[in-house]
Amino acid sequence: MFELLLLVGGGVAAGAFGALLGLGGGVLIVPLLTLGFGLPFREAVGASLVCVIVTSSAAASVYLQRDVANLRLGMTLEMFTAIAALAGGLIAFLLPDRVLAIMFAALLLYVALTMARARDAREAMGVSPGPVAGSGARARHDGPAADEDGDLDTATADSAIDAGLAEPEPDSGLAASLSGPGYRIHSLGRGVVGSLLAGIVSALFGVGGGIVKVPVMNLIMGVPMRVATATSNLMIGVTASAGGLIYLFRGGIDPYVAAPTAVGVFVGASLASRLADRVDLPVLRLLFIAVLVVTAAQMALRGIG
Amino acid sequence: MNDARLERTIGLVLGAGAIISFCLLAIGIAGMGVTHVGPLDRPFPPFDLNRLGSDLVALNPAGFLWLGLLAVILTPSVRVLASLLGFAAAGERRMVAVAAIVLAAICLSAALGAGG
Repeated sequence: MFELLLLVGGGVAAGAFGALLGLGGGVLIVPLLTLGFGLPFREAVGASLVCVIVTSSAAASVYLQRDVANLRLGMTLEMFTAIAALAGGLIAFLLPDRVLAIMFAALLLYVALTMARARDAREAMGVSPGPVAGSGARARHDGPAADEDGDLDTATADSAIDAGLAEPEPDSGLAASLSGPGYRIHSLGRGVVGSLLAGIVSALFGVGGGIVKVPVMNLIMGVPMRVATATSNLMIGVTASAGGLIYLFRGGIDPYVAAPTAVGVFVGASLASRLADRVDLPVLRLLFIAVLVVTAAQMALRGIG
Repeated sequence: MNDARLERTIGLVLGAGAIISFCLLAIGIAGMGVTHVGPLDRPFPPFDLNRLGSDLVALNPAGFLWLGLLAVILTPSVRVLASLLGFAAAGERRMVAVAAIVLAAICLSAALGAGG
């Protein structure tokens, strides 16, 4: 019973901590289960994928009802994230745990560096705690493409072209049909490459892949930050589902672990939306970066053996 | 069906899926507590669709846990199916094809997972 409560509590903490900092929670759940509870890496990833789907479904539900997510763009890109997640899930069962642990350590360091460089912790990852709770609070991702009221403009697309990150394309039928009010989609090809990478990362490490998708959509494709965040959240469910089915049928999901963790993460992410205004985010962010670096070191040590 | 209505409908599908999953998982976890099953007990019950019905009838916590986990994993697929139907009703053949490919990828995942 004590272990059960500990697992739910760990899920609550991971969900709240992750949501406050704009993460889906996957980068915290896998270390929690492997280093904290001694689970094999693949079982931890299986449980993490379940958690990621739960939070994605709840958040995407609210984003869609508020008309923030771009359904057409999300569905088009998730063709590629889903196929890549399928491949990633198969690869995960071929690689030794140690190799996966070392690769995961590298991912943690990448996330830590991204958070350290970003102006705002949530801007770096692009997942808001608000919609999970459905509390009515609007997402607060006023990135470079959204003004103070969160209104959309085309600045990101133009600045991305100016910076050489994206190439202007003639408005093809497909790109035009995927664009939204006030912004144009660019560089669909690069978006596809980013989606493939996000899908593989998701299935290998049990994360949502927002750390790849949000920057690609925002900086390269010209999608405003709030829309990129919401659309990424929508895509995460299908991506993690494609990977999760491989884990489910190959015995990579332990129901006794996955269920309490998922419930805990859901509750934690919901609580975070109520705590967001009372927490000193810069301090939390520094603490989180430190935790990520220490966890990465422990993961690498586990991998080295 | 216009875009806004379709998105609201899909949003409701996702929200309902999340709530149903949460409830089933919560029942399963409560069952674990009542029957003194620990999360680290080994071996854990394998996923077996043929046993799911009997486990549920017997109020076995594993049945609720697996049904909840299935609901979690399949909710995004239901969302894609709902999108497919919505786009089909609107006569948007390109998006119907996109949704069909996504569903095919998910089905292929299940088939490859089960086949391994």
